[in-house]
Parts: sequence; C-alpha cells; structure tokens
Amino acid sequence: MLSHLSFRKQKTIVMILFIIMPLLLLLTFAYYPALELIRLSFTNWDGLSPDKQWIGWENYREVFSNPEIFGVFKHNLAYFVVGIVQNILAIYFAVLLNSKLKGKMFFRLLLFLPYILNGVAVAYLFGYVFDTTQGSLNTLLGALGLPSETSWLGSESFVNYTLASIGLWRFMGFNMVVYLAALQSIPKDIYEAAAIDGASGWQSFTRITLPNIYQIIELNLFLTVTGALEVFDIPFVLTHGGPAGASETFVMKILETAFQFNNYGLASAMSVVLLVIVIAVLGVQRYFLNRGRA
Amino acid sequence: MKKLFSLSLIMCLMITALAACGGQDNATKGKNGADTAGSDKKTETTDTGSAKDDGPSGKLVFLTNRTDMIGKEYDDYKKRFEEKYPNVDLQFEAITDYDKNAKIRISSGQYPDVLFVPTIPNADLPKYFEPLDDIQFSGDLYFKDAKVLDGKMYGVSSGASTVGIVYNKKAFEKAGITEMPKTYDEFLALCEKLKNAGIVPLASNFKDKWPLDTWVYDVPSIISGKTDHEMKRAETDTPYTMDNEYGKSWSILRELQQKGYLEKDVNSTNWEQSKKDIAQGKMAMYLLGNWVINQVIDNGAASEDIGFFPFPADNSGQYKAPLNPDFFYAVNKNGNVKAAKAFIQWMVEDSGYEDFAGFIPVLKNKEPKLPQLAEFNNYKPQFLEAVFGDDTATAIQNKAQIDQQAMVQEFVLSKDPQKVLDKYDAAWAKAKKSLGK
Repeated sequence: MLSHLSFRKQKTIVMILFIIMPLLLLLTFAYYPALELIRLSFTNWDGLSPDKQWIGWENYREVFSNPEIFGVFKHNLAYFVVGIVQNILAIYFAVLLNSKLKGKMFFRLLLFLPYILNGVAVAYLFGYVFDTTQGSLNTLLGALGLPSETSWLGSESFVNYTLASIGLWRFMGFNMVVYLAALQSIPKDIYEAAAIDGASGWQSFTRITLPNIYQIIELNLFLTVTGALEVFDIPFVLTHGGPAGASETFVMKILETAFQFNNYGLASAMSVVLLVIVIAVLGVQRYFLNRGRA
Repeated sequence: MKKLFSLSLIMCLMITALAACGGQDNATKGKNGADTAGSDKKTETTDTGSAKDDGPSGKLVFLTNRTDMIGKEYDDYKKRFEEKYPNVDLQFEAITDYDKNAKIRISSGQYPDVLFVPTIPNADLPKYFEPLDDIQFSGDLYFKDAKVLDGKMYGVSSGASTVGIVYNKKAFEKAGITEMPKTYDEFLALCEKLKNAGIVPLASNFKDKWPLDTWVYDVPSIISGKTDHEMKRAETDTPYTMDNEYGKSWSILRELQQKGYLEKDVNSTNWEQSKKDIAQGKMAMYLLGNWVINQVIDNGAASEDIGFFPFPADNSGQYKAPLNPDFFYAVNKNGNVKAAKAFIQWMVEDSGYEDFAGFIPVLKNKEPKLPQLAEFNNYKPQFLEAVFGDDTATAIQNKAQIDQQAMVQEFVLSKDPQKVLDKYDAAWAKAKKSLGK
C-alpha cells in the first residue's frame, strides 16, 4: 500500500505511527490528569458537586500558612535519613557481592527478594514483628536479656525511624541491584592497572569505583529523596498516622484532606506543591553533585 | 555468571512490566464493566417505560459494601427476590472502601440503581436520589428523618445498632464476677478484678483509630443523654472542654488507660487478634456496637458465652444506650426506580439481612433475633435515637481539618489534655469564623 512512496517517507510514517501510541497513552494517563490536578488546585471542589468555584491562590496560601499541613514534612525527614543509610548499605553489599564470593547469586537473590513483595503485605508482616507484647522483635530482644517492652510503633520520638527501617529492608536490595549493574560495567583492566601500581582496596574503591558509578548514585539518591517525600503505604497500614498523628506523612495528609475532609481543591494544591518540591530538590541535588565536574 | 545475572535482572524487569500490565488490564476492565452496566441500564429503563406491565422488571444492580456476602447469602437473596418479582434480574456489586468509592461513582454519573448513601450533605440528596416516601412499609421505621430534605425521605436505614459492653462470660466467671455493674465506680471495680485475674479488661484497639469512634459519638451521648452533641458544636467556639460530654468521655478512656485496664501498649493493638482474644477470654470486653458480637462468635466463641450490657458511663444507675443507623439504602433517580423500591422494601421486611448482620431491625415492631440483643434489652436501657439536622458542624470540622479519632488519641496520650482541647478549640474557632458561621 505504501510501496509507491519513497523509502524516506515510509520511514517517517512508520516512525510517527510508532510514536503516536505511547504519546497518546502518556497524554491521556499522565499529562491530562496532571493538568486537571493543577486546574482543581485553584478551585474549592468538594469532590462531588458539579460546580467548581474558582478561588485563585487561596488553597496555596492555606498550604503554606497552616503549620498542621506543612509541619508533617518533618516526619518525612526520618525516611530521608534512613534512605541515606540504605544507599550506603546498598553500595557496600553491591561491592561485596561483586567480588569473588561463594554463593553470591544466592545472597543477591536473598537481598533483592523483599523488593518484590507487595507493600501492604510487608506492612502487615512488620505489624507482627513490631508488636509490643507478642511481636517477634521484642521476643528476640527479651531472649537476649535486653529490654523487651519497647513500643516500637507507639513512641512519638522514633516511630518514623521504625517505619523507615521497613523501607530500608524493602528497597535496599533494589538499590543494590542497580549499583551491581553499574559496577559490572566498569572495565576490569582499570582495577588491574591500579593493582599493579600498588593501589589498596580502599583506594581503588574511592578512585575508581565511586567516580564510575557517580551517575548511578545520583539516580539512587533521587529515588530515595522522592521515596522519602512520597512515603505512604507503610504508615497508612501500620499506624494510621498514629500515635496522635506522629507518623503522618504528607501524602497521607493529602489523602485525608481529599477523602475525609472533602476538600479536593486543597488536596490538589498540596499535590502540586509536593510535585514542585520534588522538582526543586532534584534541581538542588543535581547542582551540588555536578559541581566541580566537567 | 554475568549472563546469569543479567538474565535474572531481565526476568525481574519482565515481572514488574507484566505486573504493570496486569494492573492496567484490571483498571480498563473495571471501567468497561461500569460503562456497559451504565448503558445496559439506560436501555433497560426505556424498555420498562414502553412496557405496559405494572410490576417491577428489568435489570437491578445493588452496590453493596458486604464483599463477604457475594456468592453466599446474596445468591440466596437473588433467588428469593426473583421468586417474588420474576421479571427482575437482580445483581450485586460489592466494593471495598465503600464511602470513598461510592462518592467517586456518583460524581462520575454512572452509579447503580440501589446503593447506600455516602457521606454527602442532605442538601445534595435530590441531585442523585429518588424520594422513597411512597414505599408502604408494614410498620413504623427508625431514623425516618435522617435523610430528609424538604419533607421528602431519600434514605431508608438498613439496620440499627446500639453500643455497649460486649463481654466474654467465661472471662467474667474466671475473675469471679457475678453481677453486672450499674455505675461507673462498679465498672472500675470490675476492671480491677479482671486485671488481677490476668485478663485484659477492655480491648480499646486504640491504634486502629476507628474503634475510637465510640468515644467520639456514643459515650458523649450516654453521658449527656442527648444525641445531638455533634451538631451542637456549630453553636460554640469551644466545642471541646473538660467539663462537657467530650472532655468527660475522653477522661474516662484516659483513666482506664492509666489504670492499666486497656491493652498493655495501646499503640500496638491488633484488631483481628483482639477478636480472637475476646473469643478465648484473654481479653474480656469491647465497648463497641452490637455488630461486633457475630464477629467474635465467628472467631471461635460459643454464642452463649458472649454477653452484652449497656455501658454505665456515670454513677446515676440509669442505663442509657444510643441507637445508631447503619448505612441508608437509596435509589438512583435515573435508574430502575420501581424495582429498586421493591428491593428496598424486601430487604427491610423479608430478607433477614438485619439478623445476618446482627442489627436491630429498623422496623420498630420487629424483634431482633440475636440473643445478646435480647439480653441487652433486659437491662431496660433508655434508648437515645440518633437525630439528624444541619451539617454546619461537619463543614466546620472539615474546614478545620479535625480528625476526632486522632484527637482522642492525643488526649489520652498527652501529659496535659487541657492543652490538646485548647489547640483543637482554637482551630475550630478559626474555621468557624472563616466560614462566617
């Protein structure tokens, strides 16, 4: 059918056809809802009524002026701190499992497995681990003669760290696999040359390994930061934001605003703010990590 | 080795990709399903319009929250209902997280013929639902004026429930308790006995938040003897004070917690486990609605071991108990109205759903079948029927973003509960002012 056209034209048509499908999907399921979200953030829609009143920047003013809304970000800080630890651990294990080690495939699999589990299932599972009276963690601590009555999920001071440690358990393997892939792309002859020059293991790690996986670290940090900002499922299932709101995260707050308080406009504005924050953090991070690099 | 690793990586990628596909599939399927249901319904209603037959007919879809009854009791309901109305094709669609999802369905304009009224203001009822005043019930109903606008009734309650102490008789026996408490002091003494016997006196399920609703809605009603306290909040700038019904109720919970009458660590409670513990007598009591009785029995308790008595919140010696409605049936005004009305009447009068669910029937002259409810009635409590009115207080509460369950948690855990009340009162007053109420 197209044979009368020139090869060039055929190529263009095929290219356009191929690109139009993903573009259409992207536009309908990603960009259209995002634009709709921005539009809703300027209204006072209650989620139900057909009329949406335009109220300008009112919602944004509320987001930034109400300490109850913006204050929950300090709960997300715990996830960020634990996320850094998670990345360091991931690099450590990646380097370890990239060396000559017996059964390393088995260990890789073992560390990666938690990532495949469903988040809600993981949360339920850890509900039994962290239970104060019957939980396995306190039972274990008790058997070792350590204090066994710690309320892991009930202490306002460290409930977020408890929850974030679940995230560490779950995502560390994923970070590790990404680092592993990067490590394997480093040519072996560089290490050999360094070894001949008398470089120690630590020296070759800091001078060869780290610079070579720099971009991957950046990627993983980005995933960690966005993950910390958007954490939701584990506190939602395990603590419902308790005790007394101490583990409530920003996304939970958005959900509550929309579906419990019927304020979709404000919730949309909060989502947009979150989006902007993620972009800003990404920008800052790129600036600092790329400083002094060609 | 490298090959193997990359292979496994690809496998993982494939698995995640496939999982993503699966999700998408489901989503589109759900959407299509709803769409076809919607279009079916339209053709159906035009059909019934042209047909001269007076009886209810056509396809009828009921959107329910009871996912557990699909394929079981609902099959039986379908059979029995269609025997009575052979021209109707009754179908059930069960969804979880009902209130939220039902609201989304309604706002999309595609919703089934019969559904439960989600939490929307009464002023919006006529936009979506059909008045139900012309259904001829065989007796007077509870909660007739709950979902009413301009004198028209848009919702019929599917059942009534009350709140009191659900207890394990074996646990009481073990602690040497023979008499039920008439006053709050006697109740505390009972808790002490249970605690000394090594039994957790009252399962609060504090962590899960929703079980605290009792302390927000019902205990204040029992204390004040009135059920309109939630609405009354709209009239004041300080709805939460130490000496009103809220402060008093939450102080009770606080006292129980501090005396060690609740779970050892209230921030680490487990709802599913608590049902088993009550059934086995490791925990003795719940302060919850009667709906929980059947769930405890399902978790292994013998029905004759579970009792139910009104909660003595003060020392007056007079038992009081709130009477609350469960979900309200409503009819889609663009749906198969005739069949839907027949279905609601059948559900209320003939289905036996209230006995299955452990409700008090909404028909005032119908006796509850559950023995525990009969026991409860023997204590001759003064029933406080829930009242309904304007939604100003809800509007203020939403504007102030007050989560009352979280407030109860804060009140109980805080060293200075007065401060908690002051904080929420301030948020209340501010929201009230900004709404111009």
